[in-house]
Amino acid sequence: MSDKTKGPGFGAGLWAGLPIAMGYFPIAFSFGVAAGRAGLDGIEATFLSLAIYAGASQFLALALVAEGAPALVAGFTLIAMNLRHLLYGPALMKQAGADAPRRHAWAWAWGLTDEVFGQALGALARGQRFSEAWMFGLGLAAYGAWTGGTALGAWAGGGALEAYPALNAGLGFMLAALFLSLLMSILTRAALPAIAVAVVATVAGTLFWSGTAGILAGMIGGALAGVLRR
Amino acid sequence: MNPDLVIMALMAGAANWAFRALPVMLMKGEARPGGIAARFLASTGPAAIATLFVASVLPQVWPVPRDVWPLAAGVAATVLAFLPRRSVVAGTLAGAAGYAAAFWMLA
Repeated sequence: MSDKTKGPGFGAGLWAGLPIAMGYFPIAFSFGVAAGRAGLDGIEATFLSLAIYAGASQFLALALVAEGAPALVAGFTLIAMNLRHLLYGPALMKQAGADAPRRHAWAWAWGLTDEVFGQALGALARGQRFSEAWMFGLGLAAYGAWTGGTALGAWAGGGALEAYPALNAGLGFMLAALFLSLLMSILTRAALPAIAVAVVATVAGTLFWSGTAGILAGMIGGALAGVLRR
Repeated sequence: MNPDLVIMALMAGAANWAFRALPVMLMKGEARPGGIAARFLASTGPAAIATLFVASVLPQVWPVPRDVWPLAAGVAATVLAFLPRRSVVAGTLAGAAGYAAAFWMLA
């Protein structure tokens, strides 16, 4: 039972992170496999997951590496993809309350991915007291699944899945399913202009130029559409 | 290890840490709602996720359509599994399972 004064502890956070870990592991596994197919070894693939820890960025990193994009261009492209994370901390701490501790935020906030943020915000909205130890546990469950899944996928390699074409195909769709689920989870009337412009710009950029250009066009066009919205 | 890969990963990782941790550590007040920066940041997430979804399925429908029925089944399974509890994990896993099941049945 958690202490009502101190809030739930590290173990409760780990437990709360279990559903996220179950979702992350197969996606990270498929990232490890994809990294191997892109020519990275197991250490390089695991390093990407340890250092970047952002699924979509990592898959894009593979595409940029495969296309031979300069390191600085690739780095800034990946940075632009995660600007939305700027909003997570303030939103979470607003829900946690003005007296919520943040002494160790330099460590636990590294784990504030889309799913961890959503899980934490939901728990606070249901009346749970904010606890840095709980945040550590929640984040570590997700981070461990992500890096462990990557290492296992890179180690097993694409050959491990070639004997199971349906499983291989399902894992290949995992990322699209994650993006679609995330899109539905943040879908609001206010976000529709940004989403619509992003979709059109991505298709147009891809059809008339390249896949990378389509991604950049979609993100920038969608974000600008949000700025112009009254 | 490839030096370019290390530079790219460290740049992206440092930025991710800054995006996630610095606002918690430094911001004591709330951002001015409705400002240009706030609107840009608020739109970046939906735009990025919509972009990534389109970019991930577009190669299956253009220039040569392939595995269209598994794609349709995967999308339907994702939506149907997400809606009851609005669970990202359930939607993701069900979508992959639906895609794999349709792929297996049509093989």
